[in-house]
Amino acid sequence: MTDLDIIEITQSRLGDKAAEIANPAPRRIFITVEPQNLVAVVDGLKKEIGLWYLAAISGVDLGDHFEILYHFGHDNGSLTVRTRIPRAQPQVESLSPVIPGAVLYERELQDMFGIIINHIPDARPLVLPDGWPAGNFPLRKDWTHERTPEIIPGGKK
Amino acid sequence: MKFTIPIGPQHPALKEPISLRMTVEGEVIRDADIRLGYNHRGLEKLAEQKNWIQNIYLTERICGICSHSHATCYVQGVEKLMEIEAPKRGLYIRYLVAELERIHSHLLWLGVAGHEAGFDSFFMYTWRDREVVMDLLEMISGNRVHYAINTLGGVRRDLDEGQIKKILDGLVVLKKRSEYYFKLAVSEPTFVARLAGVGFLSKESAMELCAVGPTARASNVPRDVRKDDPHAVYDEVPFEVCTADSCDVLGRAVVRIKELFESYKISEFLVKNLPPGEIAVKAPKKAKPNEVLSRYEAPRGENTHYIKSNGTDKPERLKVRAPTLANYPATVVMLKNGFIADIPLIFAAIDPCICCAERTVALVEARTGEEKIVSFSALRSLARRGGHHLASKRNAVWPF
Amino acid sequence: MLNRLVRWSRIKSPWILHLNSGACNACDIEIVAALTPRFDVERFGVLLKATPRHADVIVATGPVTRQIKDRIIRIYEQTPDPKFVIAVGACAMSGCVYRGAYNIMGGLDQVIPVNVYVPGCPARPDAILDGVVKLLGKL
Repeated sequence: MTDLDIIEITQSRLGDKAAEIANPAPRRIFITVEPQNLVAVVDGLKKEIGLWYLAAISGVDLGDHFEILYHFGHDNGSLTVRTRIPRAQPQVESLSPVIPGAVLYERELQDMFGIIINHIPDARPLVLPDGWPAGNFPLRKDWTHERTPEIIPGGKK
Repeated sequence: MKFTIPIGPQHPALKEPISLRMTVEGEVIRDADIRLGYNHRGLEKLAEQKNWIQNIYLTERICGICSHSHATCYVQGVEKLMEIEAPKRGLYIRYLVAELERIHSHLLWLGVAGHEAGFDSFFMYTWRDREVVMDLLEMISGNRVHYAINTLGGVRRDLDEGQIKKILDGLVVLKKRSEYYFKLAVSEPTFVARLAGVGFLSKESAMELCAVGPTARASNVPRDVRKDDPHAVYDEVPFEVCTADSCDVLGRAVVRIKELFESYKISEFLVKNLPPGEIAVKAPKKAKPNEVLSRYEAPRGENTHYIKSNGTDKPERLKVRAPTLANYPATVVMLKNGFIADIPLIFAAIDPCICCAERTVALVEARTGEEKIVSFSALRSLARRGGHHLASKRNAVWPF
Repeated sequence: MLNRLVRWSRIKSPWILHLNSGACNACDIEIVAALTPRFDVERFGVLLKATPRHADVIVATGPVTRQIKDRIIRIYEQTPDPKFVIAVGACAMSGCVYRGAYNIMGGLDQVIPVNVYVPGCPARPDAILDGVVKLLGKL
């Protein structure tokens, strides 16, 4: 299916839920949705276009809100669904009922940004070490850390 | 009786620290769990503090086996952000190095698979031939791994006549030797029988769990980024997507061997049709605020980078998703209802590049909740002797 | 007399344990490539062993992450005396490109004492062999 086919189908079937559809480059489509319509739109895309492959979930810290991008791939390019959530209340629904392979990416999002994913099947931390103090989310822009001072064996103190 | 056995993080079979927790009942695995984090180096945060050129060298060192694929994926994306286009000759050289890297990675995997199945002489043969490819790469770029041949706007070094001739000679030698090995593997029925039927993953499961690379292609899911989203030269080069439909470790080996022969064809085409001209254009220091999604087919699957810029000379956000992380849920499904003796084989079949996506593995005993430590060398010797209870697969046939 | 015999056997054929503490894998593949027919370290009697209890020399790569720090110390304590540590690659020496990341402690010498440093990114198999031979010369 070409880009234009996909844009047409999305606008006609899911037009009320998808706020904005952009096609900035060949084989790249970006759809903006509200967080409450996210699962419905992805479910709709899966049924209408046959979109089953989720490549990655990225989170971006934009100051007063977070932006979450869900990157999908299909036979002729890629399609990204993006949504924005406020920083004061970072919550979003889990995609795993529709796409079971999304669990690991959502766990990483929880670890790195502190975004709460509702109804996630498995909420354990993914990449951070065991003794990591809670409430520290490394990829937020306002998180910094102190470098531990190094000891050079046999050298200057 | 269900037992929980932790394996890792340090063990000799896999070269990286991983910790698996598996719930076993007798010899059969009931459940598996993987703990990631031993290799987490905080790269995405570090990338926001370095400028565009320094990040090329940082992304190269995400992985040692597929280093050029991470660097190329990043450079492709940044070139789109800066709206510059590399000249044809530079693109041809960049993707020639990429195909040579695919060859070296598949030969490495074949050696590791042979080693896990007990066929050590196969391991020594394929790694000896890997040295031919490493010599070619050293001649082109100056280093055996971490070639650093990419730069924003093209490549850094050019090929001359003598080097082109050596590359073509090397490819001829490799092709001859590869054909010899695959005849050798055919005449070794225990090797084929050991791999058949292990680690089954149906087509529906592969699609549901978003598997990538040869793991998915061996379950007859024809997904290859070089065909779906052809970047740069891949729409001019003739090649085919290789699939198999046996959905097990033997299928994955077959897919990788077919890809090896396709890579020889692609490299020969690229070298013979190298266009004349410049190898790089000058790149600006800053990039306008924009975002880009860059995809690339690494030897293990699809590599995805998402880059966002904000008008300065440092990226706002760099997100890396490596292929092994995408294959992990599929691995858990493959391990269930398998035997303990098959763990090294199944794990090696997805071609784990743990440094790309840090993991750990531990086995957990289900009934009593105790933890028992089993050394991986004991597991591996079990894997080699394990062929005996798979007597039903004795007449599996090498599908060539 | 027995001590001299034991010391001679340790010098003539050291047994190696390969430890990866969060590396990118390039140095590890070069260590395994040192076993293959082109560089062939087994002709010196060097064997790659599976468990720390059998090893004389620990060959370690990679910058040390916080998660793996305790395991490294435990493995170091499990290796019987006399033991030696070789740090292979720029990451094990000082952290290479990862210096300053939040999950990295620095080089290997922040955690266990190191005897020989082999530089390179990645270190070539010839350089690793050279490091092992220099270590044996010091004994």
